[in-house]
Amino acid sequence: MKITLELYGASRQFSKKSFLEFNLKKKSSIKELRKEIINYIDKSFKGNSSYKRIIKASAFCSEKDIFLNENYKIIRSQKISIIPPIGGG
Amino acid sequence: MLHVKVIEIKKRKIDVQKAIQYVSSPYFGAIILFTGTVRNENNKKKVKGVSYDSHDKLVIKSIKEIYSDSTKKLNIKKKAIFVEHAKGYLKLGEKSIVIAVGCKHRGEAYKLSRFFIEQIKKRTPVWKKEHYIGSNSSWLKGVSIKK
Repeated sequence: MKITLELYGASRQFSKKSFLEFNLKKKSSIKELRKEIINYIDKSFKGNSSYKRIIKASAFCSEKDIFLNENYKIIRSQKISIIPPIGGG
Repeated sequence: MLHVKVIEIKKRKIDVQKAIQYVSSPYFGAIILFTGTVRNENNKKKVKGVSYDSHDKLVIKSIKEIYSDSTKKLNIKKKAIFVEHAKGYLKLGEKSIVIAVGCKHRGEAYKLSRFFIEQIKKRTPVWKKEHYIGSNSSWLKGVSIKK
Protein backbone atom coordinates (compact mmCIF):
# COMPACT_ATOMS: atom_id res chain seq x y z
CA MET A 1 0.00 0.00 0.00
CA LYS A 2 1.51 3.35 -1.05
CA ILE A 3 1.16 6.36 1.21
CA THR A 4 1.98 9.76 -0.22
CA LEU A 5 2.85 11.98 2.68
CA GLU A 6 2.20 15.63 1.81
CA LEU A 7 4.64 17.94 3.59
CA TYR A 8 3.80 21.27 5.22
CA GLY A 9 5.63 23.83 7.32
CA ALA A 10 8.78 22.59 9.05
CA SER A 11 8.34 19.10 7.56
CA ARG A 12 9.20 20.56 4.13
CA GLN A 13 12.82 20.24 5.29
CA PHE A 14 12.47 16.45 4.95
CA SER A 15 12.59 16.53 1.14
CA LYS A 16 13.22 18.80 -1.84
CA LYS A 17 9.85 17.61 -3.15
CA SER A 18 6.56 18.54 -1.50
CA PHE A 19 5.86 14.92 -0.54
CA LEU A 20 7.41 11.64 0.58
CA GLU A 21 6.29 8.14 -0.35
CA PHE A 22 6.13 5.13 1.95
CA ASN A 23 5.18 1.53 1.32
CA LEU A 24 3.22 0.27 4.28
CA LYS A 25 1.40 -2.98 5.05
CA LYS A 26 -2.37 -2.84 4.67
CA LYS A 27 -4.12 -1.74 7.89
CA SER A 28 -1.03 0.04 9.21
CA SER A 29 -1.83 2.61 11.87
CA ILE A 30 -0.85 6.26 12.06
CA LYS A 31 1.52 5.22 14.86
CA GLU A 32 3.27 2.88 12.38
CA LEU A 33 3.37 5.58 9.71
CA ARG A 34 5.00 7.91 12.25
CA LYS A 35 7.64 5.21 12.95
CA GLU A 36 8.32 4.84 9.22
CA ILE A 37 8.91 8.58 8.88
CA ILE A 38 11.30 8.49 11.83
CA ASN A 39 13.15 5.56 10.18
CA TYR A 40 13.43 7.65 7.02
CA ILE A 41 14.95 10.53 9.05
CA ASP A 42 17.40 8.06 10.63
CA LYS A 43 18.50 6.90 7.18
CA SER A 44 18.42 10.15 5.24
CA PHE A 45 19.35 12.75 7.87
CA LYS A 46 21.52 10.78 10.31
CA GLY A 47 18.71 10.75 12.86
CA ASN A 48 18.41 14.57 12.98
CA SER A 49 16.89 15.07 16.44
CA SER A 50 15.12 18.31 15.58
CA TYR A 51 13.35 16.63 12.63
CA LYS A 52 12.35 13.71 14.86
CA ARG A 53 10.87 16.14 17.41
CA ILE A 54 8.78 17.67 14.62
CA ILE A 55 7.45 14.23 13.62
CA LYS A 56 6.60 13.30 17.21
CA ALA A 57 4.66 16.55 17.66
CA SER A 58 2.83 16.34 14.32
CA ALA A 59 -0.80 15.52 13.61
CA PHE A 60 -1.93 13.67 10.47
CA CYS A 61 -4.84 14.43 8.23
CA SER A 62 -6.69 12.47 5.53
CA GLU A 63 -7.54 13.48 1.95
CA LYS A 64 -10.99 14.35 3.30
CA ASP A 65 -9.42 16.82 5.76
CA ILE A 66 -10.15 14.72 8.82
CA PHE A 67 -7.58 14.46 11.61
CA LEU A 68 -6.52 10.85 12.15
CA ASN A 69 -5.80 9.51 15.62
CA GLU A 70 -2.81 7.36 16.52
CA ASN A 71 -4.72 4.06 16.21
CA TYR A 72 -6.47 4.87 12.92
CA LYS A 73 -5.94 2.01 10.43
CA ILE A 74 -5.04 2.96 6.89
CA ILE A 75 -6.74 0.47 4.56
CA ARG A 76 -5.82 1.71 1.08
CA SER A 77 -3.18 3.67 -0.82
CA GLN A 78 -3.82 7.35 -0.28
CA LYS A 79 -2.46 10.82 0.39
CA ILE A 80 -1.97 11.82 4.03
CA SER A 81 -0.85 15.26 5.18
CA ILE A 82 1.61 15.75 8.00
CA ILE A 83 0.63 18.74 10.15
CA PRO A 84 3.65 19.94 12.16
CA PRO A 85 3.17 22.37 15.08
CA ILE A 86 1.38 25.45 13.72
CA GLY A 87 2.02 29.16 14.13
CA GLY A 88 0.21 31.52 11.81
CA GLY A 89 -1.24 34.96 12.27
CA MET B 1 -21.87 35.98 7.95
CA LEU B 2 -18.32 34.83 7.29
CA HIS B 3 -15.77 35.40 4.55
CA VAL B 4 -12.58 33.33 4.71
CA LYS B 5 -9.81 32.97 2.15
CA VAL B 6 -6.13 32.08 1.84
CA ILE B 7 -4.39 34.69 -0.32
CA GLU B 8 -1.51 33.71 -2.60
CA ILE B 9 0.63 36.78 -2.04
CA LYS B 10 2.15 36.51 -5.54
CA LYS B 11 -1.32 37.09 -6.98
CA ARG B 12 -2.57 39.86 -4.70
CA LYS B 13 -2.05 41.55 -1.32
CA ILE B 14 -4.46 41.50 1.63
CA ASP B 15 -7.05 44.21 1.07
CA VAL B 16 -8.06 45.96 4.30
CA GLN B 17 -10.65 48.16 2.60
CA LYS B 18 -12.43 45.08 1.26
CA ALA B 19 -12.50 43.69 4.81
CA ILE B 20 -14.06 46.85 6.27
CA GLN B 21 -16.58 46.99 3.45
CA TYR B 22 -17.62 43.38 4.09
CA VAL B 23 -18.42 43.94 7.79
CA SER B 24 -20.05 47.35 7.34
CA SER B 25 -23.80 47.32 7.82
CA PRO B 26 -26.52 49.52 9.34
CA TYR B 27 -27.03 46.66 11.86
CA PHE B 28 -23.53 47.06 13.29
CA GLY B 29 -22.45 49.94 15.49
CA ALA B 30 -18.93 48.57 16.05
CA ILE B 31 -16.24 47.42 13.65
CA ILE B 32 -12.88 46.12 14.85
CA LEU B 33 -10.05 45.64 12.40
CA PHE B 34 -7.05 43.48 13.32
CA THR B 35 -4.06 43.06 11.03
CA GLY B 36 -0.93 41.02 11.61
CA THR B 37 2.21 42.41 9.99
CA VAL B 38 5.75 41.17 9.53
CA ARG B 39 8.01 42.80 12.13
CA ASN B 40 11.75 43.31 12.03
CA GLU B 41 12.86 41.30 15.06
CA ASN B 42 12.13 37.99 16.77
CA ASN B 43 14.09 36.28 19.57
CA LYS B 44 16.85 38.90 19.17
CA LYS B 45 17.28 38.03 15.48
CA LYS B 46 16.88 40.65 12.77
CA VAL B 47 14.12 39.56 10.46
CA LYS B 48 13.94 40.68 6.82
CA GLY B 49 10.86 38.69 5.79
CA VAL B 50 8.61 35.74 6.54
CA SER B 51 7.39 32.90 4.31
CA TYR B 52 3.93 31.61 5.16
CA ASP B 53 2.88 28.08 4.31
CA SER B 54 -0.64 26.75 4.77
CA HIS B 55 -2.87 23.73 4.29
CA ASP B 56 -5.53 25.76 2.52
CA LYS B 57 -8.49 23.39 2.87
CA LEU B 58 -7.82 22.87 6.59
CA VAL B 59 -7.44 26.63 7.10
CA ILE B 60 -10.91 27.20 5.65
CA LYS B 61 -12.34 24.31 7.66
CA SER B 62 -10.79 25.45 10.95
CA ILE B 63 -11.95 29.06 10.54
CA LYS B 64 -15.50 27.89 9.80
CA GLU B 65 -15.31 25.83 13.01
CA ILE B 66 -14.02 28.85 14.95
CA TYR B 67 -16.96 30.87 13.58
CA SER B 68 -19.38 28.20 14.72
CA ASP B 69 -17.69 28.00 18.17
CA SER B 70 -17.86 31.78 18.53
CA THR B 71 -21.64 31.59 18.11
CA LYS B 72 -21.90 28.94 20.83
CA LYS B 73 -19.30 30.26 23.29
CA LEU B 74 -19.70 34.03 22.99
CA ASN B 75 -23.41 33.97 22.22
CA ILE B 76 -23.07 36.72 19.60
CA LYS B 77 -25.68 35.88 17.01
CA LYS B 78 -25.65 38.90 14.71
CA LYS B 79 -22.13 39.37 13.38
CA ALA B 80 -20.02 39.65 10.24
CA ILE B 81 -16.47 38.37 10.06
CA PHE B 82 -13.89 38.71 7.30
CA VAL B 83 -10.69 36.66 7.58
CA GLU B 84 -7.91 36.45 5.01
CA HIS B 85 -4.49 34.89 5.64
CA ALA B 86 -1.51 35.36 3.35
CA LYS B 87 0.53 32.53 1.85
CA GLY B 88 4.01 33.06 0.37
CA TYR B 89 6.90 35.44 1.07
CA LEU B 90 6.12 38.71 2.87
CA LYS B 91 8.52 41.60 3.39
CA LEU B 92 8.72 43.73 6.55
CA GLY B 93 5.51 45.62 7.24
CA GLU B 94 3.40 43.57 4.86
CA LYS B 95 0.14 42.15 6.17
CA SER B 96 -0.06 38.45 6.93
CA ILE B 97 -3.64 38.38 8.23
CA VAL B 98 -6.69 40.57 8.41
CA ILE B 99 -9.62 39.94 10.73
CA ALA B 100 -12.48 42.42 10.50
CA VAL B 101 -15.53 41.97 12.70
CA GLY B 102 -18.83 43.80 12.73
CA CYS B 103 -21.19 43.59 15.74
CA LYS B 104 -23.99 45.62 17.29
CA HIS B 105 -21.84 46.90 20.19
CA ARG B 106 -18.13 47.47 20.86
CA GLY B 107 -17.91 45.01 23.77
CA GLU B 108 -18.89 42.03 21.67
CA ALA B 109 -16.83 43.24 18.69
CA TYR B 110 -13.64 43.36 20.82
CA LYS B 111 -14.40 39.93 22.30
CA LEU B 112 -15.05 38.39 18.90
CA SER B 113 -11.94 39.85 17.29
CA ARG B 114 -9.74 38.59 20.15
CA PHE B 115 -11.44 35.17 20.12
CA PHE B 116 -10.72 34.76 16.41
CA ILE B 117 -7.02 35.60 16.46
CA GLU B 118 -6.35 33.51 19.58
CA GLN B 119 -8.18 30.49 18.15
CA ILE B 120 -6.46 30.84 14.76
CA LYS B 121 -3.09 30.77 16.55
CA LYS B 122 -4.07 27.51 18.29
CA ARG B 123 -6.04 25.70 15.59
CA THR B 124 -5.37 26.91 12.05
CA PRO B 125 -2.67 25.10 10.02
CA VAL B 126 -0.42 27.95 8.95
CA TRP B 127 3.36 27.95 9.36
CA LYS B 128 6.00 30.68 9.40
CA LYS B 129 9.55 30.52 8.15
CA GLU B 130 11.54 33.57 9.20
CA HIS B 131 14.29 34.93 6.97
CA TYR B 132 17.06 36.79 8.79
CA ILE B 133 19.50 39.47 7.71
CA GLY B 134 22.45 37.47 6.40
CA SER B 135 21.33 34.34 4.65
CA ASN B 136 19.86 31.97 7.21
CA SER B 137 16.23 31.22 7.87
CA SER B 138 14.25 29.00 10.19
CA TRP B 139 10.78 27.54 10.66
CA LEU B 140 9.22 28.74 13.89
CA LYS B 141 8.55 26.15 16.59
CA GLY B 142 4.77 26.49 16.73
CA VAL B 143 2.03 24.80 18.72
CA SER B 144 1.29 21.09 18.34
CA ILE B 145 -2.28 20.21 17.36
CA LYS B 146 -1.69 16.48 17.78
CA LYS B 147 -4.62 14.98 19.71
